Amino acid sequence: MLSMKNINKVFKTDLVETHALRDFNLEVKEGEFVAVTGPSGSGKTTFLNIAGLLEGFTNGDYFLDGVNISNLSDNKSAAIRNEKIGFIFQGFNLIPDLNLAENVEVPLRYRGFSRSERDKRVKQALEQVGLGARMKHLPAQLSGGQQQRVAIARALAGEPRFLLADEPTGNLDSMMARQVMELLEDINKAGTTIIMVTHDPELARRAQRNIQIVDGQVCDFTMYQGGQPQLVSDNVQAVS
Amino acid sequence: MFFYYLDLACRSIKKTPFLSVLMVLAISIGIGITITTLNIYKMASVNPAGERSDKLFAVQLWSQGEDSWDEFNPQITYQDSFNLRRGDIPVRQTPMFRTGGAIQTDNPDLAPILEGVRVTDSDFFSLFSVPFLYGQAWDKSVDQQAKYEVVINADLNQQLFGGENSVGRTLYINRKPYKVVGVVDHWSPKPKYYDVNNGAFNDSEQVFVPFSLTPIEEYQSWGNNQGWKHEDTRTVAAKIVSEQHWLQYWVELKDQHDVELYTAWVRSYIEQQQAPGRFNSPNADVQIMDVADWLIENQVVAEDNKVLVGLSALFLVVCLVNMLGLLLAKFLKRAPEVGVRRAIGASRAQIFSQHMVEVGLIGFCGGIIGLLWAWGALSLLAAKFELEQALTSLDMSMWLVAPTIAISAALVAGIYPAWRVCSTNPSIYLKSQ
Ligand SMILES: Nc1ncnc2c1ncn2[C@@H]1O[C@H](COP(=O)(O)OP(=O)(O)OP(=O)(O)O)[C@@H](O)[C@H]1O
Ligand SMILES: [Mg+2]
Repeated sequence: MLSMKNINKVFKTDLVETHALRDFNLEVKEGEFVAVTGPSGSGKTTFLNIAGLLEGFTNGDYFLDGVNISNLSDNKSAAIRNEKIGFIFQGFNLIPDLNLAENVEVPLRYRGFSRSERDKRVKQALEQVGLGARMKHLPAQLSGGQQQRVAIARALAGEPRFLLADEPTGNLDSMMARQVMELLEDINKAGTTIIMVTHDPELARRAQRNIQIVDGQVCDFTMYQGGQPQLVSDNVQAVS
Repeated sequence: MFFYYLDLACRSIKKTPFLSVLMVLAISIGIGITITTLNIYKMASVNPAGERSDKLFAVQLWSQGEDSWDEFNPQITYQDSFNLRRGDIPVRQTPMFRTGGAIQTDNPDLAPILEGVRVTDSDFFSLFSVPFLYGQAWDKSVDQQAKYEVVINADLNQQLFGGENSVGRTLYINRKPYKVVGVVDHWSPKPKYYDVNNGAFNDSEQVFVPFSLTPIEEYQSWGNNQGWKHEDTRTVAAKIVSEQHWLQYWVELKDQHDVELYTAWVRSYIEQQQAPGRFNSPNADVQIMDVADWLIENQVVAEDNKVLVGLSALFLVVCLVNMLGLLLAKFLKRAPEVGVRRAIGASRAQIFSQHMVEVGLIGFCGGIIGLLWAWGALSLLAAKFELEQALTSLDMSMWLVAPTIAISAALVAGIYPAWRVCSTNPSIYLKSQ
């Protein structure tokens, strides 16, 4: 489903060149739940932004659903983001002036759905995250955990095949974090592929597959019962 | 999608009321000034003859002697008017000039009214397509056999006869009785092209009398009189035979062929006149001009007006530059929201359109308010500086022109801010809040 081969991403500022990703290789299969961990500044967000077509890359090959992403026009990549990808951010990033229903409706507007279709999907998505009764509330009137659930509803409303979450529980207490995690697990069970960046090892352990990004490169681990990581990737030798 | 953008635009405008009012104000003032000058310009340059513009021609004669005026005078002499109108060429033509007098009726309660009077031939009314409310022009025979008949305008008819059909009634001009034969239906072309020498934006006369009465009644000229040599013209009788220019002369010609025929005919007249010693300048000739050229020649549309319109357009540009700055600040503050929209599927073009709709809406509001400014400014000009009403009444077309200019101007100012906000990399704004 997602395939990155030798992706490099270099940020050039006036003086420094930052190699955020170097020879980055990753395959994610349909239906997987991948947790991404790694030290701060290692390139996790950069990877997610590239995976989500929010950012280009310097060189390498990226195929999403068999489509070569390298030279897509802005219109095309916007359409792919809209139809296939759902984003969840650490900061929730709801639009403060819009009420919950309107926030969830935003991606559906850009998809060009009819009003009745939009209403149906908004209601369904908000009910799925347990906020069906608060459609007319503004984001500021909700707790952080509730806001993140709205953001998930927004990502779900378009029925994406592919959910990208950048530290979705980073701003939540462990109780709320667990709720959000359970929600994501349900979504994954329903068939959506999920890639989630997290700093919480406990949450990471609950995912099917863990990868670690260190210094812009992947160390792939598959968790097994005992909880001891087993090195799968061949491009990183030693991780302490 | 447009209505979605419109909805977002309304919310955004409401959310920052102060900034929005500031922007609307900026553009409305620019539009107000532009529309004010544009209106004056337009009203001054409108061609009042409409589709008959290229069929009606003002006639000028170089009848002055050597070493006098070095161009055609806009008016001609009584002698030439008299001779040309008697000519055997089958065209409609009419001499005219402005006089005036005290108007009264049989009603003793009515105080005499001093009114301008136009002295002309019956063809005047058909030539200039004058609409009649009651009756019609005097008969063509009156142009030869003078009769005391009169055509009045509707306003005067209201004053004198309470607005009823006054055909057949009598009115007095300087105590002489005239029979009313027609009432004109509020006719007053602006500019008053048939006589631009005597106040191009004055109202039309309220009274019209037959030209054939001129030598009998000895109507005084109430307009400009131009002479190029010393003559005694204190009496009308003397003036009639003088070389003074004080009449306007118009002819209707269907096409270029008619124009050539007519020109040739007048030239032969000039040759005849040279025998008794008139038209003795080597430049002696005729010049005819249709309405559009006539208005330009007489500078009814002054060059200053164009400069004024240009200056006000420049002012509008200054207002727009201000607006551009405000928009940029406003839009860039919204970058995080735009980042979210981009991330969840909005294309650059969609973000761009959303912001352009918002700018367009601001422009539209500015246009409407600018129109009110213009209306106020024109009323003020009319009241304080006594500019002619014709120039200061807001032309209907401005209701379309003002919003159009305002919206397009706002869109131009909005292009850069909207482009900036849609082309920033969304990922930068998503990392955290
Ligand atoms: N827009 C940018 N311009 C320049 N450098 C950047 C930019 N974005 C990221 N970087 C650099 O790229 C590297 C990877 O950044 P990234 O945000 O992917 O890290 P991260 O793994 O998400 O870290 P964290 O866990 O703290 O969120 C960092 O060194 C960062 O400074
Ligand atoms: Mg990050």
